[in-house]
Amino acid sequence: MTGLTVLCVDPDDGERRKTVAALTNGDDVTVLEHDTLAAAEAALTDAAPDCVVTEYELPDGTGLDLTARLREHAPDTPCILFTNADPDRIRTAQHGEVVVEYLPKDMPGARESLVRLVGNVVTQRTQVGYPLPPEEDERLAALEQYDRPGMDAVSAFDRLTALTKSHFGVDVAFVGLVDAHEERFLSCAGADWETLEREDTMCTHTILQDDLMVVEDTHEDGRFADSDRLDELDIRAYAGVPLETPRGTAIGAYCMTNSEPRSFSDAERADLRLFADEAMEQLELRRQLNECEGDTERRPGPDPDAAAPDGSESP
Amino acid sequence: MSVHRSRYTFEGLPIGDVESGTNVLVTGPALGGIRELTLRMLLQSSEREGTLFVTADTAGRETLENYEALGGRLDFARVGVIDCTEEGVDDETHNVHAVGSPADLTGIGIEFSSLYERLHANGAERVRTGVYTLSPFVVYAPTKAVFRFVHTLTGRIRTADGLGVCAIDPGTVDDQTLSSIAQAFDGQVELQEQAGDCAVRVRGLSNQPEGWQSVDLDV
Repeated sequence: MTGLTVLCVDPDDGERRKTVAALTNGDDVTVLEHDTLAAAEAALTDAAPDCVVTEYELPDGTGLDLTARLREHAPDTPCILFTNADPDRIRTAQHGEVVVEYLPKDMPGARESLVRLVGNVVTQRTQVGYPLPPEEDERLAALEQYDRPGMDAVSAFDRLTALTKSHFGVDVAFVGLVDAHEERFLSCAGADWETLEREDTMCTHTILQDDLMVVEDTHEDGRFADSDRLDELDIRAYAGVPLETPRGTAIGAYCMTNSEPRSFSDAERADLRLFADEAMEQLELRRQLNECEGDTERRPGPDPDAAAPDGSESP
Repeated sequence: MSVHRSRYTFEGLPIGDVESGTNVLVTGPALGGIRELTLRMLLQSSEREGTLFVTADTAGRETLENYEALGGRLDFARVGVIDCTEEGVDDETHNVHAVGSPADLTGIGIEFSSLYERLHANGAERVRTGVYTLSPFVVYAPTKAVFRFVHTLTGRIRTADGLGVCAIDPGTVDDQTLSSIAQAFDGQVELQEQAGDCAVRVRGLSNQPEGWQSVDLDV
């Protein structure tokens, strides 16, 4: 558990100090301390913590109010109610969807358990609102190879997505990379999307598929029927192909969406796979180019001391 | 600790033992024996085990009675229920904790964590958790919240070396949703029933019987 930032919220100074001491004991953990809901809410936006540990009863609200705000702002971030409140005293009815971990302060070894739990919920991503690929850590490591500064492929992708949009007569065509918490759009024809929370994306489901994923009507699919965000984006139909590395790891998707329900013929599906192949080839070529340039930069230049005074090469 | 004790066994069922920390999704028709199969997978194999039920389709007391009828040991220091039905009521004597709605996944998760810790504190070194069934959660709660809840539940079971057995009737959810939920589990036990004959098939878990295996369930 190193390099983490934890937001610790507890109105009791003594209890909070003990919690902070446990969290920072021997580990490279930064803890932000607050004693009110308002201050903690501000910290959510200012500091982007990796985990929130909060008492239930706060002077100006509850730990579940804080979690509700967290789910709006950074929905993947785990939250632990570390509290003296018995479950019967915790009013959950208004916050039935936020889902938190619960750890009572009065159990033996509570703070040791808390430290372990913080590590577990962060590394295992146990509070994300979408399915996770079985080898997610490896997938993210692979993605990093294709997602580096300087790998500018925007113009090539812009041509490809514009062509896709007109070829299929759809509203939007895009190339998206699915990272740990967001989908980032490398190119998007027909809309100005830049990023989307991962839990709101359809591509986070596409990357679990062996082949393309087609949703003819989002309102008829249990995974997406209750998504307000998709309605806001005017997405009613979707077809997407996973972008797979040569080793078969899906790092994103090549997709198109439509504001009205529609079907996709076998011929259209075959064409979409070809567009996706082209996009992945562009990504792979750029990765290789980036790797070669990196090698060149790392290779030591000619050693001036190695040349003979007459300019001939040293033996 | 011996290798044997670090695994969970399923006596009388054609299902091989599984490692501690395993989460299994059991799929099958509600009227085809899935309830009995789930309860039998939760039968303890030693006095050091505990059992925690999360019930959304049937009342807590009824679940305990069914479990006992199948041979389950009701030591209420190490056995408890989170009753998520709308009619559920707290019952301290039988360690039943009512939440009041299958849509209140936050409340269910809090009760689950609290009860899990208490069973441990009361001497249950390992806990078998059964969810019967996931279907009402999928029907009444938003999809994102269901994923969050399932990840939280299975994560807690995994790190505590427990066993998770979660049942779902495929007839109550669409195939895509079921397939997505299955991602959170280590493997699946499929149950099928034809004219009173039941068979199970295990997928995704190691050291299991190949193909469909006949199983004697009261349907």
